[in-house]
Amino acid sequence: MTRTVEIKNMSKRFGPTVALDNVSFEAHGGEILGLIGENGSGKSTATSIFAGMQRCDSGEMLFEGKAWSPVSMTDALNKGVGMIVQESGTVAGISVAENIFLGETKDFRKGLFIDRKRMIEEAQKALDGIGADHIRADAVTGTLDFQDRKLTEIAKVMVKAPRVLVVDETTTALSQKGRDIIYTIMNRMKEEGKTVIFISHDLDEIMEKCDRLTVLRDGKIIRTFEKNEFDPDAIRTSMIGREIEGSYYRADYGEETGKEIVLRAEGLCLGDQLKDLSFELHAGEILGVGGLSHCGMHTLGKVLFGAEKAEKGSFTVKGKAVRNEAEAMRLGIGYVAKDRDTESLCTEASIKDNIAVAGLDRFAVKNFLILPGKEKQYVNEQVQALSIKCRNADQYVSALSGGNKQKVAFGKWTGRRSEILILDCPTRGVDIGVKQAMYRLMDRIRKEGRSVLLISEELAELIGMSDRLLIMKDGRLEKEFKRDPELTEADVIRCMI
Amino acid sequence: MENEKKIRKENVKAAVFRFAPLGGLILLFGIFMALAVIKDINIPYSFKNIVNQSVVVVVAATGAVFIYTLGSFDISLGASLCVSALIGAMAYNATKSLPVMLLTCVGVAVLISLTSSVLASVFNLPVFVTTIAMLSLLSALALVLIGANGTGDVIQVPAAAVRGINNVWFKLIILAVYLGMCVFLFDFMKLGRREKFQGGNPVCAKLTGLNGKRLAIAAFAIAGVGVGLGAFLTITYAPTLSRNTASSVGMDIIISIVFGGMPVSGGARSKIYSAVIGALSMTMLNQIMLALSLDSGVGQIVKAIIFLLVVSISMSNSKGNILPR
Repeated sequence: MTRTVEIKNMSKRFGPTVALDNVSFEAHGGEILGLIGENGSGKSTATSIFAGMQRCDSGEMLFEGKAWSPVSMTDALNKGVGMIVQESGTVAGISVAENIFLGETKDFRKGLFIDRKRMIEEAQKALDGIGADHIRADAVTGTLDFQDRKLTEIAKVMVKAPRVLVVDETTTALSQKGRDIIYTIMNRMKEEGKTVIFISHDLDEIMEKCDRLTVLRDGKIIRTFEKNEFDPDAIRTSMIGREIEGSYYRADYGEETGKEIVLRAEGLCLGDQLKDLSFELHAGEILGVGGLSHCGMHTLGKVLFGAEKAEKGSFTVKGKAVRNEAEAMRLGIGYVAKDRDTESLCTEASIKDNIAVAGLDRFAVKNFLILPGKEKQYVNEQVQALSIKCRNADQYVSALSGGNKQKVAFGKWTGRRSEILILDCPTRGVDIGVKQAMYRLMDRIRKEGRSVLLISEELAELIGMSDRLLIMKDGRLEKEFKRDPELTEADVIRCMI
Repeated sequence: MENEKKIRKENVKAAVFRFAPLGGLILLFGIFMALAVIKDINIPYSFKNIVNQSVVVVVAATGAVFIYTLGSFDISLGASLCVSALIGAMAYNATKSLPVMLLTCVGVAVLISLTSSVLASVFNLPVFVTTIAMLSLLSALALVLIGANGTGDVIQVPAAAVRGINNVWFKLIILAVYLGMCVFLFDFMKLGRREKFQGGNPVCAKLTGLNGKRLAIAAFAIAGVGVGLGAFLTITYAPTLSRNTASSVGMDIIISIVFGGMPVSGGARSKIYSAVIGALSMTMLNQIMLALSLDSGVGQIVKAIIFLLVVSISMSNSKGNILPR
């Protein structure tokens, strides 16, 4: 197999943080190379440098045997290296076609004007080509959901027929259909002798799809596993530098939840997202909500936090109706949204600003005066309790890794001791170490008599953590499962599809 | 060891950016003092001029920081100041009472500000859109007021009536009280924290229970108080008011805020002192250009170049800048 990607002795710092420390690895044609490691281990940094997003401080890169130093992502893509990034990389206010051909409109010039019709036709072909024919190329990108925006990005990259494709933690944001589209592209590229570098925190997924697996930790290469060496425990140990102690999910079965109903929803309806949905959440309960990505579960989270209004039906928290987000917070609800960088965090603010803003009423003297010392104490308690890796609480959230960002999003609500936590895909894009910490946190919340509504697209997580599991399909409640050691993903999938 | 060095370097870099506007002001002050010595300029008189020229902009711009923090802006502040001053002068002429004039100036300015923000809230528009409409409306209103007053092209307060308060100390006291109130609201109350967060990410702010419309109304109300005080100080300094009163104040406010290191997109990095530093720097720059006997056209070009420089440096130091909402 030919070496298409060679990275030699690459180092990169972000201020005092060492992101890459003398990293070397290679990827071959006709291969899917997996990169795995904890958040902040350097996977995305190394590949984003190869894909032209940023530059390294030192080291050498070769692409197909020749020295490689792209000046930008567009430059890299035009020369054969494409990357699909973790968070959304589309512009909301323009059409899907314009996003796909962003910066390339000159190719559609017709005299002084742009031949929009031809651009839309070409974009539609690109979308159809990756199996995303349900997306209309003339639609405004902002009207699409997260998954379809991600598929638009994939079409944008694939239209350039790259010889190296980097897929950075993309699949966890997608439903099974979205994942299948990416897997098909990856396999097709492999068959054509091209190279795929696949970054994922989903160990099962990465072991199934990859031919080799390189583990990074703290900016260093730890080990590369050949396919015949794949062993989940060995990989996990390499990733975090120690064996995972204790159970990953909850180990208890048969424990009673509290009798008190803390949240009651009756006949909730909202467009085709929620159809006559009724359920109850008890004190000390983790209630899982699962289904396919478009089943309405994400909308349910927003409705229960008062961010969207149900057309019909009602829900009450401890007997009181919730009309907006502020009321929801007053009644003790906290909400961690799925779209972390847009909805859960202000990335250009500090850790302190993000955590403190949700808890102002907790530490403000007489509920109005903010004393810097009290604010610092409140924030530092959350930083320590959640083990957020940072220089100090004044560090900007944009400089944190995905897992630590998610911890900050948690910190907003744990700090104010929310009685009901609505968590929408809380472990998306976080490594197993952070995942385990979050599962323990949920369990602790449950044991303290508080409640969690866990919305997730990861069935193992739902089955492993929930006292009850509600499966939604096309906006309706399809089935309810009780916590049971015999419950399998297959049982649940049958209700989802 | 190397890591500690890096941390120190980063901290120094951050501090340089944080204090760059203040450093700029000190530099301008140094240049001015050097020129004053070389050219034998009357320094106390010049300082009095600096206070008189800058105090209106400092007061109005300090309040406007609340609006800019939200990532918004108000283009009608100059026109609002003009109308407030005109009505304030009419109120004095009717009552012969300075407190009534002060309250009228502030009341009218707050009312105008609230109208902009409430209209934006009702029609679900970005606030700056309604301020553009208010600019036209207020310019027309100024003409109507002057016409209705029946005193030619001006409305006048007797100079003797305001002579007693037209002194530097009175102006500095007004500035200190208002600045103190704004610093308290901005840095030590929930409102300031919420304004900054709202400016940084309105979507996330909504999902953290913040009410963007209420925050906008509060910001505009605080800015209105500043504009009202500015209108009052304008009358004390120049008691003959015309349609052109405070015509450059609107633009001076924008330039001062940016000049003082305020990020163009607002948000968490907003600083309440930006307006003070920016307005004083601008006035100092004007004094330097006067001392150098530079043509006013050249002066404008110098200001434009410095403005572009300041914005580009501030944008290079922060990622993800966006246009004002």
